[in-house]
Amino acid sequence: MNDRNLVRGLVLMAISLAFGLESLRYPIGTFSRAGAGLFPLMVSSLLLAIGLITVVRSRFVERVHLDFQAKNIAIILGSLCGFALVSHFLNMTAGIAFMVFSASFAATSYSVVRNLQVAAGLIAVAFAFQKLLGLNLPLY
Amino acid sequence: MDVLHNLAFGFEHALTWQNLMFCAIGCTVGTLVGLLPGLGPLATISLLLPLTYSIPTGGALIMLAGIYYGAQYGDSVSAITMKIPHASSIVACIDGYQMTLKGKTGLALFTAGVSSFIGGTVAILVLSFLAPSLGEVAFLFGPADYCALMLVGFVCVSFVTTGSLLNGLAMCLVGVLLGQIGTDVNSGMPRFTLDLPFLADGVGIVSIALGCFGIAEITKNLDNREERSPFNGKIHLIPTWAEFKRIIPSALRGSVIGSFLGILPGGGPVIAQFAAYAIDKKVSKYKHEIGSGAIEGVAGQAAADEAAARTSFIPLMSIGIPENAVMALMMAAFIIKGIQPGPNMISGHPDLFWGLVASMWVGNCFLIILNVPLVRYWLSVFKIPYNVLFPSILFFCCIGTYSVNNNLDDIFITAAFGLLGYIFMRLELDAAPLMLGFILGPMLEENFRRAMLLSRGSFMSFMSRPISGTLLSLIGVFVAWQVISFFLQARKAPAPHRLSPELAQPKLAEE
Repeated sequence: MNDRNLVRGLVLMAISLAFGLESLRYPIGTFSRAGAGLFPLMVSSLLLAIGLITVVRSRFVERVHLDFQAKNIAIILGSLCGFALVSHFLNMTAGIAFMVFSASFAATSYSVVRNLQVAAGLIAVAFAFQKLLGLNLPLY
Repeated sequence: MDVLHNLAFGFEHALTWQNLMFCAIGCTVGTLVGLLPGLGPLATISLLLPLTYSIPTGGALIMLAGIYYGAQYGDSVSAITMKIPHASSIVACIDGYQMTLKGKTGLALFTAGVSSFIGGTVAILVLSFLAPSLGEVAFLFGPADYCALMLVGFVCVSFVTTGSLLNGLAMCLVGVLLGQIGTDVNSGMPRFTLDLPFLADGVGIVSIALGCFGIAEITKNLDNREERSPFNGKIHLIPTWAEFKRIIPSALRGSVIGSFLGILPGGGPVIAQFAAYAIDKKVSKYKHEIGSGAIEGVAGQAAADEAAARTSFIPLMSIGIPENAVMALMMAAFIIKGIQPGPNMISGHPDLFWGLVASMWVGNCFLIILNVPLVRYWLSVFKIPYNVLFPSILFFCCIGTYSVNNNLDDIFITAAFGLLGYIFMRLELDAAPLMLGFILGPMLEENFRRAMLLSRGSFMSFMSRPISGTLLSLIGVFVAWQVISFFLQARKAPAPHRLSPELAQPKLAEE
């Protein structure tokens, strides 16, 4: 199963099925009077075909190991979502500080002093954006 | 003479102090970004797009264009000095880095700078003469022809950027499907919105670009845990007259090749560099030196790179169809500013069009005056540790996403696309065709439905019209050639441990 070519085909098929099955819920119509579901259904059918070809072809070409490391992407996405939640419930200044401190877990080393400096610098940039460029940032 | 008059009109707009400032900011930011690991021109343009809302339209477009060609130049600097191309300067690594090893870094950087200037100048002339006349051709296009042209773009971009037609086409189709999210313009029916109100307007291009290019790229760099050693060598910029003389013919050849290849669908800097390098290797007076650090090996490709980056604006501004992912994003920037690129753009907004063309030349001057002499200072950005850099890039991703609609929900969408982009990257699926598919998807659907309505449901209209018929036949021939070459290769290689075509070809990064 740990074959990049095979997984690639399966992921493409999964995407095509997700869109294709959903588009069946919309009116299809005819080619001359297309409904909302016709075009996405055509495109997802084509994608399904490409996914199938990729899966079949993966049996005939050399297997390539799929390298997937969940840790860093989880930390980065967690920091982004945390930024949005903290900004929503508190304010964006706290959100920026949270993001810097949590994202740094993915770095090669962790330093509280460095994080404080980076967070302070970025908060200053955010204030500059708000005051100089007129961006509507809920910083406080 | 009309063109000269128009160019003079353009310079009037480009040389106002505000526009000069926007051009300088664009070139500076672009060069910085081109040098830095983790962000390409695509991510930067989408990051800075929201910041241009408060800037007048002309200035915003000038700045975004400056970022694009500034990034091209910055990329070649890091390729020459450290053999690290981030976006497109793969060819600059060959002779440019060889020159660095010989202690001729300054000469290589000077050559790249001057050649880019020559390439840019030739391309601007081509742009001024060709764009208006190509705009008239666009009036001959019907809905079926637009569909065929977009499909040609998909096929070319898929093949050029990923080296594998199948993978590239798959990504284009994923992009088209993502473009379907939102309200159907014909029936008003919400599609694929999962009943979430913030998806009714569709997914923002900024979210997709930052997710697939910004966040995925940051995570890749973190996974690799690369420690980059900054360049500490000496840089002596000014060449001798004999060396300078060698730059000109090669740069001119590269400019012509780049200008031509930049216009073609799917064309752009990457393919232009390879073509210019290959031709220099065949016809140059010093062809035996190319590959081991020859001036010609840097000059031709740098000129082609810059020329193609400029002329790729022609299809966007005259026909309204972007031909690669960066141009797709530029198109989004035009539309956000309320301008529909297409045949009517030049007559409807002459100040914008000619101002942008003239600003490209001004940008060229900025690049050569500011960046070439200051290159040693630019290289100090490599001394910033990545541990400091990546939270800052994340911050810009968050602010960029939020500022589009002042909506925190968009950050969740960006995070979702970050995950998707990371999965695609691990599966070696290039996200550049996805961007093109996403931008062209709604246009493709609209034109397809219109063409089918006009032909009362018959597909023959696609073949009977001369433009669409020719374009679709070209696609047919190309796909058949790909299938045949796959089977021929399969026959030659011993089964089952064959190398797939996409692995056999060098993977080209998006331009």
